[in-house]
Amino acid sequence: MTTTEHEPAVEITGVTKVFNPGRPDRVTALTGVDLTVRRGEFVSLIGPSGCGKSTLLRLVADLIPVSEGTVRVAGKPARTARLDREYGIAFQQAGLFEWRTVQRNVELPLELRGTGRRERRVRAREMLELVGLADFAGHYPAQLSGGMQQRVAIARALAVHPPLLLMDEPFGALDEMTRERLQDELLRVCARTGTSTIFVTHSIPEAVYLSDRVVVMSARPGRITAEIDIELAQRNETTRQTAEFFAGITRVRQALRGGPAAQRPDEAGPVGEAEPADPAVSR
Amino acid sequence: MTGAAPAGGSAAPARAGGSAAPAPGRRGVRTALGVLGAVLLGGLVWEGYKAVGDPDGTLLFGVRVLPRADDAAMPHLTEILGRFGDPERVGGDPIWLVVTNAGLVTLRSVAVGFLAGALVGLLLAVLMQRLRWVRRGLLPYVVLSQTVPLIALAPVIAGWGGRLSIGSYPWQPWMSVATIAAYLAFFPIAVGLLRGLTSPAPIAEELMRSYAAGWWRTLVKLRLPAATPYLYPALRLAGAAAVVGAVVGEISTGTRGGIGRLVIEYSREATTDPAKVYTALLGAVLLGLLVAGVVGLAEILLTPGRRASMR
Repeated sequence: MTTTEHEPAVEITGVTKVFNPGRPDRVTALTGVDLTVRRGEFVSLIGPSGCGKSTLLRLVADLIPVSEGTVRVAGKPARTARLDREYGIAFQQAGLFEWRTVQRNVELPLELRGTGRRERRVRAREMLELVGLADFAGHYPAQLSGGMQQRVAIARALAVHPPLLLMDEPFGALDEMTRERLQDELLRVCARTGTSTIFVTHSIPEAVYLSDRVVVMSARPGRITAEIDIELAQRNETTRQTAEFFAGITRVRQALRGGPAAQRPDEAGPVGEAEPADPAVSR
Repeated sequence: MTGAAPAGGSAAPARAGGSAAPAPGRRGVRTALGVLGAVLLGGLVWEGYKAVGDPDGTLLFGVRVLPRADDAAMPHLTEILGRFGDPERVGGDPIWLVVTNAGLVTLRSVAVGFLAGALVGLLLAVLMQRLRWVRRGLLPYVVLSQTVPLIALAPVIAGWGGRLSIGSYPWQPWMSVATIAAYLAFFPIAVGLLRGLTSPAPIAEELMRSYAAGWWRTLVKLRLPAATPYLYPALRLAGAAAVVGAVVGEISTGTRGGIGRLVIEYSREATTDPAKVYTALLGAVLLGLLVAGVVGLAEILLTPGRRASMR
């Protein structure tokens, strides 16, 4: 990888995104967004529907162009970074190719890079072991459960050892148990590979559990309203019951309700109510 | 497919094909039995109607709603089958030989027309997927092309062909017939494949973009594989269309040697030798079944085992 050591993983400066400019259905999806993701950092984007968090992720991935401002990934313009395959990406739907086996799905990005057959196979094996699906290498996607498909998609995103991982609600369609297990797996993988991650989610506990920093966004127009550093001593099963975890949830929730966390302590809900986080977001 | 410990990499497809082999085989046997059953049923209906139907046909308010059942209009099946063994005319070859030869002549036009039509359909579909303005501009003409009456078109194609040559090789009449077959065959392929090429979900396309895959790689790795479920029905339609195109093309261009010509020639003798025209018709039917069978077989052979196992 050609990433220079001292550059941040992602640097977003003054980014505005307008869809359908100059037309009656013109939509300002994002305005004046500044965000820096340090190398190895795990950053979550959270906010109500329509706040532009997926749009922001797609801008970083250079799947859509910015209207104003600059996006730099690994010190390069986003387009160059995409062409250099500086990131891996996973969406809410696994998006596996149903005519390929699990193994060949994971090999796909390697294949497109021109990696040799032997190395492809080794690397895909390694990734499938990482997500605990080595026994299913020869299966087709239709033979797997939704959670397993999502793990394959994550293995596929990681297969090229990208310095940056972009994830758009990858666990959104999964049940709570699968979701928590995959969160742990993701943290393990990121820690082991030193990958920087931008993670879009609707879930406050998920954002707090996974992130070094939670970026809170609001809609109409989409913008960043708060950045909350999360400092958890450790992240494992017991973390989800600790006071610092609930404190983090409270701070994110307050920020989502609009208002700096420090100024509106009275609005903090009882700690026990932190679990059903999603309704709070949509309110 | 069972969850047997899978072998990785290139061994996997071979294994999948091996373990799935019984499924397509059984499917083939079932199809063959179905065809046989349909033929028997057709024969029963024919003879059954002949036994109970009015020899002069059934009239309702002066309109004939059921055909005549006399021997001139509907010869017995035994008579038709027996006619295959008799010579075409006094001292000539037996009919089965004449019909078979004519069938082979037509089959050449069908095969060439089908392949040419498939190729043209493929190119058009890819072009229309690639360039939106081509799709917008071309698709109406593609649809329009199928509404032009073949009878009107055939002499034009034959006329153009007469002035062409491929290198030093002069244009043959059967090439006009193949062209007409291709003209009918390209349509289902172009439309079906276009549908298939545009079928991948947006995130699959975004994924390819994130891999910095260009148009060609996206076509080969994503669009074409995603289009195969749409391709097979299109190929079957194209096969049938090619047969119809070749037979009708032979008739309307007056090309000799094929089964279409035979149908016309024998129908002139329908009053004196009613079984004869049915031999040519049966020949045309068999030709259609043969082409459908070949396309179906190709589908079974080319389909990975998993599709069979998932159904």
